[in-house]
Amino acid sequence: MAKMNLEKLRKQSPKEKKTLNGQIGSVSEWLDDRLGLAKGGRVFFNKIFPDHWSFMLGEIALYSFVVLLVTGVFLSLYYVPSGALEIYHGTYAPLRGTVVSAAYSSTVNLSLHVRFGLLVRQMHHWAADIFLGAIAVHMCRIFFTGAFRKPRELNWIIGVTLLILGIVEGYLGYSLPDDLISGTGLRLMFSVTESIPIVGTHLAFWIFGGNYPGNGSIIPRMFIAHVLLIPAIITALIGAHLGLLVKQKHTQFPGPGRTEKNVVGTPMWPGFMFKTQGFMFLVVGVIALLGAFAQINPIWLYGQYLPYKVSYAVQPDWYMGWLDGALRIMPSWEFQYHSIMIPNQFFPAVLLPGIVFNIFILWPFIEAKITKDKKEHHLLERPRDNPMRTAIGAGTFTFLFMLFSASATDVLANYLTISLNIVLWFFRIATYIIPFIVAAIAYRFCIELQRAGDKAGKRKRTNIVWRNEQGEYYIEKSPAREGDFDVIGETEEEPIELTPELSEELNKKADLIGVGSSAATNELAEKFLESGEDGVKHVSRD
Amino acid sequence: MNSKKKTVKTFVSVIAVVALSLIFSLLESNSYNSNTPNFRTSSYSANNVSAVSQTTSSTPTTSTSTSVSSSVKETSSFGSNHLNSNVKSDNKKKKFVGPLLYQGSNVRATYNQVKEGQTLFDESCASCHGAQASGSDRAPNLVGLGPATVQFWVSTGRMPLSNPIIQPIRKPVKFTQAQILDIVSYVSSLAPGGVLIPNIKGYNSSSIANGASLFDINCAGCHTITGAGDALASGAYAPSLHQATPEQVAEAIRTGPANMPRFNPGVLTNSQVNSLVKYVTQGIQKPDNAGGWDMGGIGPVAEGFIGLLIGVGLLMLGAFWVGDRQ
Amino acid sequence: MSKEENNISQADGERVVDGESRNDKSYQRQASVTKVEILNDPRFEVLAKNPRRTETLIAVSFFVAALLFIAMIVDYLKGANTQVEGGLMAAAFCLLGVGMVAWGKYLMPKGPFEEPRHELGSTEEDKKEFVDAFVGRGKVAVGRRSFLGKILGAAMGLFGLFLLGPLLRSLGPNPGTSMDHTAWKKGSRVVSTSGNLIHVNDLDVGAFMTVFPEGVIKKSELDENQQELYNSQTLLIRAGLDNITTEKGRESWGPQGYLAFSKVCTHAGCPISLYQQETQQLLCPCHQSLFNILDGAMPIFGPAPRPLPQLPLAIDAEGYLYAQADYDEPIGPGYWGF
Repeated sequence: MAKMNLEKLRKQSPKEKKTLNGQIGSVSEWLDDRLGLAKGGRVFFNKIFPDHWSFMLGEIALYSFVVLLVTGVFLSLYYVPSGALEIYHGTYAPLRGTVVSAAYSSTVNLSLHVRFGLLVRQMHHWAADIFLGAIAVHMCRIFFTGAFRKPRELNWIIGVTLLILGIVEGYLGYSLPDDLISGTGLRLMFSVTESIPIVGTHLAFWIFGGNYPGNGSIIPRMFIAHVLLIPAIITALIGAHLGLLVKQKHTQFPGPGRTEKNVVGTPMWPGFMFKTQGFMFLVVGVIALLGAFAQINPIWLYGQYLPYKVSYAVQPDWYMGWLDGALRIMPSWEFQYHSIMIPNQFFPAVLLPGIVFNIFILWPFIEAKITKDKKEHHLLERPRDNPMRTAIGAGTFTFLFMLFSASATDVLANYLTISLNIVLWFFRIATYIIPFIVAAIAYRFCIELQRAGDKAGKRKRTNIVWRNEQGEYYIEKSPAREGDFDVIGETEEEPIELTPELSEELNKKADLIGVGSSAATNELAEKFLESGEDGVKHVSRD
Repeated sequence: MNSKKKTVKTFVSVIAVVALSLIFSLLESNSYNSNTPNFRTSSYSANNVSAVSQTTSSTPTTSTSTSVSSSVKETSSFGSNHLNSNVKSDNKKKKFVGPLLYQGSNVRATYNQVKEGQTLFDESCASCHGAQASGSDRAPNLVGLGPATVQFWVSTGRMPLSNPIIQPIRKPVKFTQAQILDIVSYVSSLAPGGVLIPNIKGYNSSSIANGASLFDINCAGCHTITGAGDALASGAYAPSLHQATPEQVAEAIRTGPANMPRFNPGVLTNSQVNSLVKYVTQGIQKPDNAGGWDMGGIGPVAEGFIGLLIGVGLLMLGAFWVGDRQ
Repeated sequence: MSKEENNISQADGERVVDGESRNDKSYQRQASVTKVEILNDPRFEVLAKNPRRTETLIAVSFFVAALLFIAMIVDYLKGANTQVEGGLMAAAFCLLGVGMVAWGKYLMPKGPFEEPRHELGSTEEDKKEFVDAFVGRGKVAVGRRSFLGKILGAAMGLFGLFLLGPLLRSLGPNPGTSMDHTAWKKGSRVVSTSGNLIHVNDLDVGAFMTVFPEGVIKKSELDENQQELYNSQTLLIRAGLDNITTEKGRESWGPQGYLAFSKVCTHAGCPISLYQQETQQLLCPCHQSLFNILDGAMPIFGPAPRPLPQLPLAIDAEGYLYAQADYDEPIGPGYWGF
């Protein structure tokens, strides 16, 4: 019955008369004549995104980068990239009459006077924190599921490069306002640069334009790197990152109908496009929420940086925290041979990040070398499927997390009212021990989960002991409920491929798609047939 | 076999490292504790310390014995310890000349104040500081420290203290303002000298900008730029400035309580102290948090915590909803 | 089956041969989807149980977001309060986001859909053609005169080398010996941040202050040389009343209890300004290195590897403090010598 109705419906549908070209509009037609967009566009619209929450983590980073670009443009309209000193004449009383740099006073001005300025500045800063946080969790997802394996090593390297550039970019932005805390961070950077073997001291002098704090040229230099050089590279690399993603297609978790030869999920158009656009709004919303109510880096309270002023409890932004923590827990070693010196800060601030980032970049190759695995992989592994990798990842993560926590030794000591010395010694030792413990636990956990198989996370069937009237005991399994390990729940649908032919078919039925269950659709189709050509719209709105 | 040896070796070395570190940290806290009585080394008198330590060690709860002794000394104590030692005891109330209390003023403590103060001191302070306030192995000598020091410690609730700890913390104040002044009067009457209670009457008209830049260079190093305070070495800490009264700020600057350096008039002039008082009580205690919640004013540590937990956390919850099919 | 449908399934069949691992069941299912059955397929249903209600909710959320944006405009004209603007913006964007996601998630065919994956690598034929094109043509036109390429490469390399000059070398001066000395000179009198000379009676025991050599502090802060300010910043501490010797050979450096140490930490260069007067220690605010001033500012805790350089002080006839000489070692953190 329904079948017949729909056949009729198809014949009568007014849409059928229209050509595809007629539907996409004359502007697109014009563009396509010159650029041939339709070919690529079809591939783009058909791109399938796997339905799993962990695939959205990278999008958090992407959209916070969009927020960074937009808010950054706003800020650059008001910020003055100059270290030239002047007398502050603004309205913030505790600063009035004091010597400030143009960079600092313009930042105070845009915070306290420019309408909307403080919100945008705080959103910019929060977006930076979230950008790098999202990169970190995204990277964890890629690592623990083995998504970096062949053929995606290149994209992994691009991703790690983005992480490094993001950290540098964040640090530069943190340094630009020239307030008391950022100035201290700048001094650390000078110290770290001058510790680099052979070229270090020269490099530091050149970058800063002389001995610390330089000749005032560091701020314009950082500015141009912050607003042009690095964002341009990041944007290009994000383009490459996504381009490779489209070219190589997404990975996916194993599941019904999911093989190494297909991708199962939601197509770009229209489903995913709407979801991801909505997610972008959510990212903007959360960043605006933080920007509105959580005060970040109130530089007017901190005051202008002068090289002999300092505040206690100075920390870098969180993504530099692990380096600051490493500086703190470093034993007081230094190597000197005549005039050649390898200073203390070289080990935690140059060597450590060098090693860490090199391992990150090379990891796909290291792992392939160890496992001798040269096959392509499009199906992901759950962390439990590869206990060794999970253990190594958990250990590394813990190590970095311990370093990160060590950058707050003073704050921890203050809040927990423990001696600072004890806190420091704890980190000096625990940073090297706890990662191994965590790795061992993670390994064990994976093995246990593997053993549990599909039962993991599900209930065992209970044994019920009964006693009958004769006083005999007997055992009975409890009745099956959903969630018991041996009860098979609803299985997922087999996927269906969106072939061009299918899309064309759908196009004809556009008015009927997405209004509800198939029963309702059929009902609509019948109503449509009864009410004539334009009936569908009325019915669906009714 | 070999690997077994190796594991044993590593195990032993790990144990050794842990043990060493424990010993080290214990040593460090010990060495600190041995330093604690070292409150103001220069003002300790060896005789006093040994004498009082004898009495306190023989009678750990000395409140009864000291109160007895204090009632005995009532007639003599003022005379012997005071500037005007030749005042006759019967009309001492009339001719009594109390210690100066305030900087830049001739107001002196009255006889009643000193007397009241002595009673309060004997009840609450003498058990550690000794009946003559000359200190013990548990507490420092107070003689000659002056009114500002005593007023600071008592008015911030740090004194009296039931158990000596590395650095007393701010507590609810035990005495009324008048009682505090009585104690101050009594302790100051024991010997001349010390720091008078700073005169901060004009602080409201001083420059807040001047105060801010003085704060940056002199105070922010320990108390942090927002005045939130932070931990110092060996269990000491720089307290938060958010509850300090104007008078306490000035007293702390001038007297340098505990580990805080002293800023005597040669370092900071009276008008500079007034500027600082103004900045602390206005700029620090009522900061212009135009950006919203200040998260405790501890800077990037709290910011990172909130950014990761709330920012990334909320968005991950969003990802759970957006990304999954159900 | 119509002819058209046959074509589709044939095309499908070919693709399936590529993807060996696809099981027969799914292949059959795929092939059996006829045009008419599409609308009956549960995979084209929406996720929403009550689509009408969902679309109403989405419409309301978009509408409220629009109202919130109007409120933002009003607030902007009234002076733009950060919390009001931000709160409205956050709420509006969250509403837009929730609506958009709900639209995409609940009101669109729920799938799952799939697309095939193609071999990423090129076919052997493509590779061969590429190699032929590259090597074959190149051998004649390029390979024969490869020395030209080498010279070109060398020329560009030299240009790159040249670029290191303007892009790096010219950015700042060479260090030279500027790291070895500070603005302190023999006889420099000690002044405070406000430029006042320091008299021996100025500091009580337990007091400290940041000092500079006379001449570095100018009448107007705008004229001060920041590099001199940085390298000459010194902590002046009165640790006692008698002369203090912190180390052998420094007998005359601490007259009347005055000690002066470089304020620049030897670990990472932060200005040290935490003086714990009871324990006579200096603590660095950045990484908590602890220095014992009575022991020549020897680091006793934390990462700092070297003691803070001590400035030899002296007191002139009028009682003012002055430096006997500059620091006898470079101040600040270690650096690569040259």
